[in-house]
Amino acid sequence: MIKLNNIYYSYYQKFSALADVGLAIGSGEKVAVIGSNGSGKSTLLQIIAGLLFPSKGDYYFHDTAVTESALKEKNFLRFFRQKIGYVFQDSDIQLFCPTVIDELLFGPLQIGLSREEAMDRSIEILQMLKIENLKDRPTYMISGGEKKRVALGSVLTMNPDVLLLDEPTNGLDPRTQVFLLELVLSLNEAGKTIVIATHDLSLVSELHSRVAVLSEEHRVEKVGTADEILYDEELLLKVNLIHEHIHYHDGQAHSHLHSHYLFHKH
Amino acid sequence: MKSNIPPFLLSSFNPAHTRGGGRADISYLDKGIRSFAALFTEGYALWELSSRRSFLHDLDARIKIVFWMLLIVVISLKRAVLPEAAIFIFMFTLAALCRLNLIAFYKKVLMLGFVFGFLISFPSAFNIFVPGTVMLPVITLSRMHDFWIYHIPQVIGITDSGISLVSLLTLRVLNSVSVSFLILYTTPFTDIVKALKVFRVPDTFLIIISMTYKYIFTFAHIVSDMYLAKKARLAGSNDSKEAREWIAGRIAFVFKKTQLECEEVFKAMNARGFSGDIRLYHHRDLTGRDWEIGLVLFAATVGCLVL
Repeated sequence: MIKLNNIYYSYYQKFSALADVGLAIGSGEKVAVIGSNGSGKSTLLQIIAGLLFPSKGDYYFHDTAVTESALKEKNFLRFFRQKIGYVFQDSDIQLFCPTVIDELLFGPLQIGLSREEAMDRSIEILQMLKIENLKDRPTYMISGGEKKRVALGSVLTMNPDVLLLDEPTNGLDPRTQVFLLELVLSLNEAGKTIVIATHDLSLVSELHSRVAVLSEEHRVEKVGTADEILYDEELLLKVNLIHEHIHYHDGQAHSHLHSHYLFHKH
Repeated sequence: MKSNIPPFLLSSFNPAHTRGGGRADISYLDKGIRSFAALFTEGYALWELSSRRSFLHDLDARIKIVFWMLLIVVISLKRAVLPEAAIFIFMFTLAALCRLNLIAFYKKVLMLGFVFGFLISFPSAFNIFVPGTVMLPVITLSRMHDFWIYHIPQVIGITDSGISLVSLLTLRVLNSVSVSFLILYTTPFTDIVKALKVFRVPDTFLIIISMTYKYIFTFAHIVSDMYLAKKARLAGSNDSKEAREWIAGRIAFVFKKTQLECEEVFKAMNARGFSGDIRLYHHRDLTGRDWEIGLVLFAATVGCLVL
């Protein structure tokens, strides 16, 4: 469904963000793109979302080349935007309507649904995300976790086939993280393709997805199953996703590789 | 959780046509936002340009700021076209010696010179405003007219003194813009701000300028991201009315965010020992080379003054 061939992207024609990236994602798959800060995860997601265009390389969605020119065609623009939903890392950026319900209604109205159908969808999503009480609340008067739910809801009302989630659990409390994770897994079971950019290895482990590792040189270092990647200490050290650290246990200092979740062996 | 998923999410949208359907229009407001977002690229390009190496790039920012101020005064004092033309050639030589991209440099300089020099002063080329010998008649009336303090001659046209006045004013603008861009293109903005200490500008004022400059970029970044977020959910054309409403809402959001950011920055300053007085790190000492080049520039400026 999604095919990226030899993708290059640089900011200001100077700072490389992606170099020779190739990745194929099938329908209904769940894929985690992992890498350290600045490795190009968000840029890759924005290219898949058709928000940025590669300086070199090809991107195909359902065998159609996604280019700036193709996205100026009304039919393809509508098809593409309806098929791919992008949830930004910073929910504040994404929420631009006066109230929560306006946020949920924005997408369905853009794709030409009737007001009634758009409202029905929005109410159903409010219920699914357990935020019915926030319906008429201005988006700047809700908490970070609630903003994340609204941001996700604003995309889900468009019923996309592909959900791109940029660092979805960043800055959320553990309960909201679990809620979000369960929701993402359910959506995947329901047939949605999930692509998550993250450096949270425990999230990758819980998702148990296919994993693409981006190096600090902005290349795809390895693609494999969650187990293949998460137990490859050498790879994770190389791409700067784990490090050795010192801490205390029972009053005694000792050191081991971070992350806790996978390498804390006693 | 699966049972909670609304039925509409379990179906997939499969349109009859995925291509064609005409072009999706991009409103002029969208284009404006995109141009605003391009501020980064320009800011980065300016920073890169000002961080290169050349005799003017390497010169201490304080010397450049003094040279800039002196030359602006000289440009304003000269009342003849020839000395202004000489200053223009001097600026061109300096820009060439600094290995700036002369085409890009003069594209900006000439554009600003044309708008703020030529266009604004052009009416004074006519004998309605500045008396003189008509060189190029434009309109001939049946007779002259006088009312209140105005005198409309029978032949309205461009005069010799008008041409020289327009040339002088245009050259003044061109020269002032040239020297300003020359300093901007050869000095990082942070160095310019610190160099203002030469003129006893208070540190508090300098830090406000630095912060303002920085936050222009921060908020340009926010505006650009907000535009992308909107684009991601925009499946059709966006008419200008909707775009205007969206922008109005976003202006309010950025204003609110600015207020919050301002409070947070103030807290961060307090946490790092701010107590009302700001002390900035002092410049390096001037080197012999700085003095030498400074003297040459000073001599050239005096030369322009006596021309």
